Amino acid sequence: MSLGLLLPAGLAALAALLLPLLIHLSRQSEQRRTEFAALRWLSASLRPRQKLKFEELFLLLLRLLLLAALALLLARPVLLGAAGDARWVLVTPGVDVTAARTAIKQADAEWHWLAPGFPGVETPVPTAVQPIGSLLRELDATLPAKTPVTVFVPDVIDRADGERPRLARSLDWRVMAASASTAKAASPSPAPVLVIRNADSREPYLPYLRAAAAAWRVMDAPSTQSPANTAPPSPEKTVDVAPTAQPIAANTRWLAWLAPGPLPSSIREWIERGGIALLDAEVELPEAAQAVALWRNTDGDELVRGVAIGRGRALLLTRPLTPGALPELLDGDFPRQLRRLFKDESTPPQRALASAIKPIPGGPSFPETPRPLQSWFLVAVALLFALERWFASAARRRQTP
Amino acid sequence: MAAPDFIPPAVRARLKDLRLGARRAAGSQGFGLHHSRSRGAGLEFAQYRAYEPGDELRQIDWKLYARSDKFFVREAERDSPLTAWLLIDATASMAQGDTARPGMSRLDAAKTLSACVIELALRQGDRFGIAAVAGDGLHLVPAGIGPRHRDRCLLELYKLRAQGAWPMQIALRPIWERIGAGALVLALSDFFDEGCVALVESLAAARREVSSIQLLTVEERDFPFRGGHRFFDSETGDELLSDGAAARDDFLQRFAAARAVLASRLASAGIRHVEHVLDQPLDAPLRRLFPARSGRIAPESA
Repeated sequence: MSLGLLLPAGLAALAALLLPLLIHLSRQSEQRRTEFAALRWLSASLRPRQKLKFEELFLLLLRLLLLAALALLLARPVLLGAAGDARWVLVTPGVDVTAARTAIKQADAEWHWLAPGFPGVETPVPTAVQPIGSLLRELDATLPAKTPVTVFVPDVIDRADGERPRLARSLDWRVMAASASTAKAASPSPAPVLVIRNADSREPYLPYLRAAAAAWRVMDAPSTQSPANTAPPSPEKTVDVAPTAQPIAANTRWLAWLAPGPLPSSIREWIERGGIALLDAEVELPEAAQAVALWRNTDGDELVRGVAIGRGRALLLTRPLTPGALPELLDGDFPRQLRRLFKDESTPPQRALASAIKPIPGGPSFPETPRPLQSWFLVAVALLFALERWFASAARRRQTP
Repeated sequence: MAAPDFIPPAVRARLKDLRLGARRAAGSQGFGLHHSRSRGAGLEFAQYRAYEPGDELRQIDWKLYARSDKFFVREAERDSPLTAWLLIDATASMAQGDTARPGMSRLDAAKTLSACVIELALRQGDRFGIAAVAGDGLHLVPAGIGPRHRDRCLLELYKLRAQGAWPMQIALRPIWERIGAGALVLALSDFFDEGCVALVESLAAARREVSSIQLLTVEERDFPFRGGHRFFDSETGDELLSDGAAARDDFLQRFAAARAVLASRLASAGIRHVEHVLDQPLDAPLRRLFPARSGRIAPESA
């Protein structure tokens, strides 16, 4: 444990220590006029002695301390290595805290949720989500190196990232059975509006896409709502149908381009910036040769192929969207299949067995986060100031009884 | 009393057993409490003398006539009143007090002592007067008697302010015209002025019954100064730079020697002399000058 200064230049304020020294310097050079009638017997030869002397030593000490504390406060003092050896116990939301408490016998352990900000377990279960690996790395970086850490995790972790966390410390990794309520997978994010740009010849395709988009909306609706109360979603909200001449909005994410011929350059640029487009079977695309099958029917024929263009993707229909050419259009599974195609399949799986992602030691160690001491110094300054005022006024009281 | 009461109650209470008195017999006319040179009716035997025609028959000592067959008249001392004069130095140096007790200057102490003496004289039926010597001359209240004269004197004391230096001798001539021989003179001064010492010496030499109280401040006795001071004398305007702690021993030694010289001078002139420091009780110098329960004062060694 040691004291550090974040702004050592603030110590220049220590020069202010000269002020009380000057104030308390006994004013010997200044001769007080004193009436003295017996002047005749006073020897004149003696000159006043010049010697450095201070008056009111205790008050001077108080004032020096006060100024020194102020200067230190300006220099922003921090305490390094201050956090004690108390064990940190982190409980992943979803793990039963009382069960975890029986497992840890240490009384001085600090209990926190493994959640952003690491709130104490007395607070309600946090709802904010963040990958568990990220939280562990943050914890590893902020806690002093010698603080022991115990982490309680459910047996299945929902928000795992691609790698086993590599930490500087070795954790006490405890796996507990999760309570059932929190074991369910996170609900998928609602589907964005499907933007459709079609040529006149592709009008017959539209009802199927409209129906699929409407079905997505029902799929995304909260399950607690009864279907009877759910108003059928209006097509205007789920799809945006227009001729090909009309440009697409900037915030479009999913597009169905139903027109033969080459892709306009504006659409192509949009895809390259990260859009996902379902392209008509007759669209001419140079990358079509590299496309891979994404959806096959039961016979193994390719129905939709996909290819990456820039940061986006193109989904290439191989057949017209007519029930004759694509009997799966009439399947009840069609909206889900279409949704799967649009959804970014590149996101890695996030659920993992807790025992499988136990952090491994050997990660980078970080410089310790110092603990700021400014609040304590503020209290000390206030106390010293009060004391100084008290003694200063007491001295004045003594002088004028 | 119209004038403010100079005497603190504690001091006034202690004045009860004090009595003014002169060593020598008083010569004034009238009846009083003090022994005198005049012969007449009284308790104290003075002398026998031969009968002369015109003496009252009842004054003849008949027992002596029976022994000696001659007429003798028995004479007794006549008790006479005393005239008490207060000679107050009101030069500027008398305004000096102590920084520790700002309300009490030498002159304040002198006024209180004067008021005490006036009270004593009034109680004994003696005459009393004030002669205050300030820089602008002499402030004189002629000797008188009675409570109204007491108030007149206190009023004069109240108006008295310390100022200036000791005046020329010619300005003090009314003192000689007013203070008669045999009067009791109490000089209240710091005796830093040579003129003041010379005046009391010549008064004593001219058969005035002089007592003196030298009023000293605590600072002059203890010299408690620390650090540099610019000492100044308000009477002469002189200034002196000195360091308190360094000058202390030398000053105390020289000042004590000067006081001893003064005391011996006054003693050789037949003056009863006491010193009074401002932090002492105010009746103490009077008690040493006029010991209680004794009309006939024994000479005091100064």
